[in-house]
Amino acid sequence: MQETIVIGVIGSDCHAVGNKILENVFARAGFNVINLGVMVSQDEYIDAAIETNAQAILISSIYGHGEIDCIGMRDRCTERGLDGIPLFVGGNLVIGKREFKDVEVIFKGMGFDRVFGPDVDLQHVVDCLHLDIAAYRREHQAVEAAA
Amino acid sequence: MKTVSIDIGSTWTKGALFEVGDRDLQLLKRTVSPTTVQHLADGFFQVLNALLDDDNAIERIRSGEITLNYSSSAKGGLAVAALGLVPSITLESARVAAYSAGAKITQVFAYRMNRSDIRALEDNPPDILLFAGGTDGGHFDTICHNASLLAASKLDCSIVYAGNRAVQDEVTDLLGQKDLVVVENVLPALDQQNPDPAREAMRSIFLSRIVKGKGLDEIIAATGSEPVPTPYAVYEFTRHIQEHVPGWHDFMLLDMGGATTDVYSSHDQCPPPGAVQRGLPEPLIKRTVEGDLGMRVSAEAASETGEALIAEHLAHDPAQIAAFHEYVEKVTAEPDYLPQDSQGKRFDTLLAGACAAYACERHAGRSTQVYTLEGTVDVQTGRDLTSVKKVIGSGGWLANSKEFDVGNWIRERKVDSKGKTVLLPSTVEYYRDEQYLFPLLANVARNYPEAAAFTGVALLAQS
Ligand code: B12
Repeated sequence: MQETIVIGVIGSDCHAVGNKILENVFARAGFNVINLGVMVSQDEYIDAAIETNAQAILISSIYGHGEIDCIGMRDRCTERGLDGIPLFVGGNLVIGKREFKDVEVIFKGMGFDRVFGPDVDLQHVVDCLHLDIAAYRREHQAVEAAA
Repeated sequence: MKTVSIDIGSTWTKGALFEVGDRDLQLLKRTVSPTTVQHLADGFFQVLNALLDDDNAIERIRSGEITLNYSSSAKGGLAVAALGLVPSITLESARVAAYSAGAKITQVFAYRMNRSDIRALEDNPPDILLFAGGTDGGHFDTICHNASLLAASKLDCSIVYAGNRAVQDEVTDLLGQKDLVVVENVLPALDQQNPDPAREAMRSIFLSRIVKGKGLDEIIAATGSEPVPTPYAVYEFTRHIQEHVPGWHDFMLLDMGGATTDVYSSHDQCPPPGAVQRGLPEPLIKRTVEGDLGMRVSAEAASETGEALIAEHLAHDPAQIAAFHEYVEKVTAEPDYLPQDSQGKRFDTLLAGACAAYACERHAGRSTQVYTLEGTVDVQTGRDLTSVKKVIGSGGWLANSKEFDVGNWIRERKVDSKGKTVLLPSTVEYYRDEQYLFPLLANVARNYPEAAAFTGVALLAQS
């Protein structure tokens, strides 16, 4: 079964090139990619994920304000019924020279499941998606069975 | 060849007889008679007989010697309740579809329904429930949940299911006992609106079931001709003008009545360079209708909605504010009231201005500037009508108001209450449907689209 994922560049970020590459790579990897393009708000990802029954949301931030733009995304997902949906974030997440390890801690603290830098091997991201979506489905089924 | 057009409105039944020429229509005769709410056919035949002045009127229509088209917005028109999943996505698509079918939307629901939602529907049943939600292959459990609640309800109106295709079978199984029609999704994918199948389903339900409840079936039986909801005809007429009349690809049409203000627009959306478009794609022809903006029955509501604008206009003389509200109370109670003095006329103008301004504002999209380190970027949502110039005013009051220019009022709502720019025309060429023939021509357009479109535009008075 084809998995649906939602992608887009968050906040007032207009860097469009990486987004097109991600769309292309994930579509070739067999995903149904809902690409919201650039300048996407938190609610737009969530609205789109609800309507399309997406199994993961992948957020890009290229222009350096990712930290501010992503605050509260996990809580908002939970609030709006997407409990536990896999949340990935990647790009040039912060301004200035900070160790990627530290950046990862910040974003994981905000509730992101996976955090990637600009040089990540996208095949690795595809593998992570399959893993996390499978786990998400198992969890969902368990919740439904309990209900 | 002669053709008859009749529009059964909530208070008046209007009719006209035209001679059909090669490329235009000649108005031969028109008449009007009170709508006979208890029995719509009576008023209808009165008008028909007056137009044809002939005991054999029905024979001449049945034989095809004279063509007949008619519409109705009497007895509440076509009432639709819309149900979607996310308010700005499938509920919005459901609204677009219902409006295009000529409906007025009586209730809306999103996400999971609960018992009080169901009760609200049972207490105030619409003619049709338009049930959307989920893109194809998308979300389904809320859809099935809502279908189960509806199945267990006492609601017995027609239901059009136009949601996620993946659960059509489940929905059919759940709602099989109800009067259910299943059609293609109004939003098969996030970037693709598909209102037409749902629209067609609503039109055919109107004909097969609703018409009977309103007593129009008798007219069908006698004349062999079928009605459409009045706004459905006007929506199609907008399309015909766009298609056939050179220079009229982009325009807005305002139909202002006593109870509602309808706005139609024809426009190809294409975001200007540098702007980022967000939200659902826009259709070529769009209709919205505002139930709280009208000159008489809805005058009270209109004066509340338009409070800010009205207060601004009366600011120079605060004593007028109380007088205005008294006037509004009077015309709400007496829908046939016509102003007798200059103050009454001024107040009517103010009411009309508020109806026009707010109805257009709601029809149009928004733009906000987002500050980025690079400079500002315009983020647009909804319909961008800034490049549209032509605006037509129709409806009884606008038809008769020479001095009134919709453009002046639109300008007052350049910025909405949230500080966003309203994407309405920046320069308006205002045209008036001086003879108030648009709804009648809209009917004729069902048989003679080109001639009706040309005639409609030719008869407009430009101010
Ligand atoms: C082209 C460009 C622009 C163009 C963008 C045109 C457009 N519409 O796309 C313009 C001139 C408009 C622009 C403007 C700005 N830019 Co600029 N821009 C660049 C530049 C040169 C290339 C970006 C690019 O296309 N890269 C190629 C793509 C393929 O890579 P990518 O975007 O990084 O995406 C890949 C990865 O990051 C990763 N990825 C991305 N998202 C995600 C998400 C997930 C989940 C995963 C797994 C992976 C992943 O995969 C993608 C595909 O391989 C970079 C410098 C650089 N060499 O990267 C600066 C750069 C991104 N810009 C920068 C800045 C600061 C800006 C501005 C704020 C101001 C400025 N200095 O010009 C504005 C911001 C405008 C705005 N509102 O967004 C900085 C960002 C600094 C930071 N984050 O620390 C950079 C790094 C330049 C620099 N070194 O200062 N920019």
